[in-house]
Amino acid sequence: MKDLMFRIRKNPELYTGAVIAAVISFILIAGFLFSPYDPNAMSAAEKFAAPSVSHLLGCDNFGRDLFTRLCVGGVTTLFIALATVSIGVVFGTIVGAFTGYYGGAVDEVLMRFNDAVLAFPSILLALVFISVFGSGTFKVIISLGIVFVPSFARIVRGEYLRCRNLDYVRSARLMGAGDLRIMFVHILPNTFPVLLSSTVIGFNNAVLAEASMSFLGIGVQPPDSSLGRMLSDAQAFLFSEPSYAILTGCTIAVIVLGFSLLGEGLKKHA
Amino acid sequence: MKTVLKKLASFIITVLLVTLFVFLAFELIPGDAATFRLGTNATPEALERLREELGLNRPFFVRYFTWLYSFFFGDMGQSLSYGVSVRSMLASKLPITITLTLMSFVMIVALSVPLGVLTSKYEDRMWARSLDALGQVTMSIPPFFLGIIIMYVFGMIIHAFTPGGFVSWQTDPVRFIGYMFFPSVAIALPKAAMSAKLLRTSILSERKLDYVRTAYSRGNSTMDVLYRHVLKNAIIPVITFLGMTLADTVAGSLVIEQVFSIPGFGRLLISSISNRDYPVVQSIIAIIAMIVIVINLIVDIMYRFMDPRMRERS
Amino acid sequence: MLEVTDLHIEIEDSLIPETVVEDFDIEVSAGEIVGIVGESGSGKSMSAHAIAGLLSRKDMKKRGRIVFEGEELLGMERSRLRSIQGDDIAVVFQEPMTSLNPVKTIGWQVEEALRIHRDMTDEEYKERAIQMMRDVEINEPEKRYYQYPHELSGGLRQRVMIAAALICDPKLLIADEPTTALDVTIQAQIIELLKRINSKKGTAILFISHDLGVIRTLCSRVVVMNKGRIVESGPVEQVFNAPAEEYTKQLIGAIPQFAKVAPYYDISGKKPILEVKNVSARYKKITGYFTPGARQKLTVKNASFVMYEGQIMGLVGESGSGKTTLGKTILGMLDDTSGEIVHYSRMPQMIFQDPYGSLNPAKRVGWILTEPMRIKGGSTKEEQREKAASMLELVGLDRTFMDRKTSALSGGQRQRVCIALALMQEPKLIIADEPVSALDVTVQRQVINLLVRLNKELGIAILFISHDLKVVYELCSHIIVMKSGEIVEQGTDEQIYNNPGHPYTKQLLSSAGYVKSD
Repeated sequence: MKDLMFRIRKNPELYTGAVIAAVISFILIAGFLFSPYDPNAMSAAEKFAAPSVSHLLGCDNFGRDLFTRLCVGGVTTLFIALATVSIGVVFGTIVGAFTGYYGGAVDEVLMRFNDAVLAFPSILLALVFISVFGSGTFKVIISLGIVFVPSFARIVRGEYLRCRNLDYVRSARLMGAGDLRIMFVHILPNTFPVLLSSTVIGFNNAVLAEASMSFLGIGVQPPDSSLGRMLSDAQAFLFSEPSYAILTGCTIAVIVLGFSLLGEGLKKHA
Repeated sequence: MKTVLKKLASFIITVLLVTLFVFLAFELIPGDAATFRLGTNATPEALERLREELGLNRPFFVRYFTWLYSFFFGDMGQSLSYGVSVRSMLASKLPITITLTLMSFVMIVALSVPLGVLTSKYEDRMWARSLDALGQVTMSIPPFFLGIIIMYVFGMIIHAFTPGGFVSWQTDPVRFIGYMFFPSVAIALPKAAMSAKLLRTSILSERKLDYVRTAYSRGNSTMDVLYRHVLKNAIIPVITFLGMTLADTVAGSLVIEQVFSIPGFGRLLISSISNRDYPVVQSIIAIIAMIVIVINLIVDIMYRFMDPRMRERS
Repeated sequence: MLEVTDLHIEIEDSLIPETVVEDFDIEVSAGEIVGIVGESGSGKSMSAHAIAGLLSRKDMKKRGRIVFEGEELLGMERSRLRSIQGDDIAVVFQEPMTSLNPVKTIGWQVEEALRIHRDMTDEEYKERAIQMMRDVEINEPEKRYYQYPHELSGGLRQRVMIAAALICDPKLLIADEPTTALDVTIQAQIIELLKRINSKKGTAILFISHDLGVIRTLCSRVVVMNKGRIVESGPVEQVFNAPAEEYTKQLIGAIPQFAKVAPYYDISGKKPILEVKNVSARYKKITGYFTPGARQKLTVKNASFVMYEGQIMGLVGESGSGKTTLGKTILGMLDDTSGEIVHYSRMPQMIFQDPYGSLNPAKRVGWILTEPMRIKGGSTKEEQREKAASMLELVGLDRTFMDRKTSALSGGQRQRVCIALALMQEPKLIIADEPVSALDVTVQRQVINLLVRLNKELGIAILFISHDLKVVYELCSHIIVMKSGEIVEQGTDEQIYNNPGHPYTKQLLSSAGYVKSD
């Protein structure tokens, strides 16, 4: 017990972040799975109903249960972020591993291209893809996923560049290990600490990017809902019903706070 | 000299790659300018004639370089939705977005440098820790949500400004700046918190290095060590971050314009994406990309200026 | 002048406060050179830093008395202490690269203490700084004044550190391992410089080192430390010639001494195991796509030699001599090489210098040891683990090490695991690249003994790459000397040590303090 206290004091970000991220994710997912309300069921009588026992956080402009909608929107946001980051990590790792390990002209060309892509702010790049592919949940995932590949490729490449000339890699080569084995059995586990923290930080950026795009109306399209989309709806009623916007915005902020603390803690831990 | 040439070469290559990327992206969209202009009911002959006229039948790279050439000389084509030249549409909006970006950037620097120095100087004090925690919360608030809060509190409760009451800079420069103040704060606060935290971490980790021990051994006070030794080293990673932030601020202003109903690049870009007005989208994205690339170049030069180790590295 | 009594230092970083220095006493009179010697973790640097007033972290608790010129330094007011630091007491640190501020000019750093403690004009500061740099034999001081630390070599940087420390004419200079990061010849020059400063200016020196040889040539009195405590102290000759304590005896016994450990090995009639003919290696700087192979440097030029089975061959040279590159070339680790390398047995194995880089930090010892067999295939898991365990025992580690993470091992244990890994592949030749340089003397001694045992019992030939002529003398019957990529001389130990033909060999021998034997 004393040991745990000591560890928390050494890295408070990690533990606070983990708790916040776990609690908010749990609430959203539980609400998504078990809420008795249909998130799209409208009821004119309950328009902007105040919080009550039956409607924990009240209702929105169409009389839909706000808590249920926050949970559904939040899970959509989390799911998009997870899918996006997975695309980024998988392809980024493959590209980064090969370019970092082999180096040479292919690496040079790919990295030039990578730098060029990274020159765009990620939201702008996502806008390019959205305007090419069109909007909608699946297209948002693909667009953001592509946007995240270069940054992960760069991180992984850096790790491979660092490791490829270390003595343990030389020693593996002397044993007769092949390039693929060295890349994915010997070196890859050594990139995990860095990769893990950047995955969490990337997840965070994905949440923000999706929320921004949906807020702008070019991300998730109705009838699907996401937190960004809801916030943009809520802005119209800001003066009369500020709690709608504030609750939605705070849900995003808490998700981001939890995962950013977690990411930082992991970075410190690595 | 060689370094300068090399930088220049890599700058030009980045410009070419980025513009090529933008051009290529819009080439991939099904349907071409001729179809958009004439609609789906046009006869194949009419389409073909317009394609010939617009030069759409020429090889890819010819079209790319023609586009690039005219882009750099200010000819960005016609808007599909409004039928006016893209250039004239953008000319009135560019100063708005640039003002917003620059104002928030100045706020970021002005807030984060003193904050970073103070919170690391007094790292054990209660107020420094509270500020640090507050910063952590601030950087988690999405700028558009922060914008909404500011709008509600300062616009609707305190009436410090009129939401939606944008005044153009030609009409009244003072009220224009006044209106831009709150959106700038919304962009700046989270970024300033990040930058202050980065500076703080950087100072704290620099302070553990050997040369700091040397400085103490010569009789420097804690203040002298901070200002004469640590700060110049610690600011180097912050410069990189601020460069990235400036680029992000451009993108952030796109979203904030939506919140505060500011008729800048952002609103035009979003409405053009929804209207599939591709020449406008393409031009805006290319312009922003150019701005970002130039910012990166400036950061790179500053970096060399700050860190003597980078100067000779060719 | 300096009198330390009963110094205790505690670190309260973790849950249990850890005592790092206990009952530390030392006395330094004006103009004297006193040494503190000990292995890593002995608390020697910690004590020295406490004397210099550099342990100000809140989690460090100090007790005892540090009296300098009649004033108590412990608990002294900060501003008074600062007026002593850099003026009366100055410090030179181990790593001249990291101990200098990378973004400030050399001149600025040399004159900094002067600016703090003396009131003069800018011209006078500069004049004094350049004079001081000339005093410590920095060439072209006017040019260096405007340069940055990264533009200077390691030896020059250490001279800059010394100049910056001496600029206010301190009464006491604390030198914390000032020569450890430097090459032997440079090391000897810096020691000479410190001696000269001591006799010319009468500066007292407190010299901290792990190197007993250096302490012996420089100091008049010595304090031996181990695990935070003083083991023994007294005049240097007394401590070295008649050590009273067991630990001191062990420590002195472990110093390489120009005494043979392995008997002379006669190569006549033995079969060759490796033949290197006219081998050159180019180091291609990894450059961008737009400047392909801009700089090519020949790092090994036309090297030729032959090794025989069971032989221990010494390959000697300073950093940058190309000795490591030659070793890697033999193993085919480099691309751009020419010449012929003939292996008469299966592929040799390599032991690397840095025991921290040569074991995969993400894996366990057992996994690393069994990896060669997994790659080769044709053996069961049990066979693999059995063999790995027996190899661990052979190098003096027990089976429980199989399941340890490599990050939990000490330097000596890591180096043993590296040797076990080499042995797993049943080599006839091992190329050992500075295998003991990163280790403490006593651990160094154990690893050397292990290598000798493996050579004797298993008949494994060893190409022993080292900068340390003493260790090479102990082990090797045949020696190759390299300088700037070229083999300048090779022959038997008798030839190289007692009849060196090349001036560079002579210089190396005199820097190492070798006295010709009969």
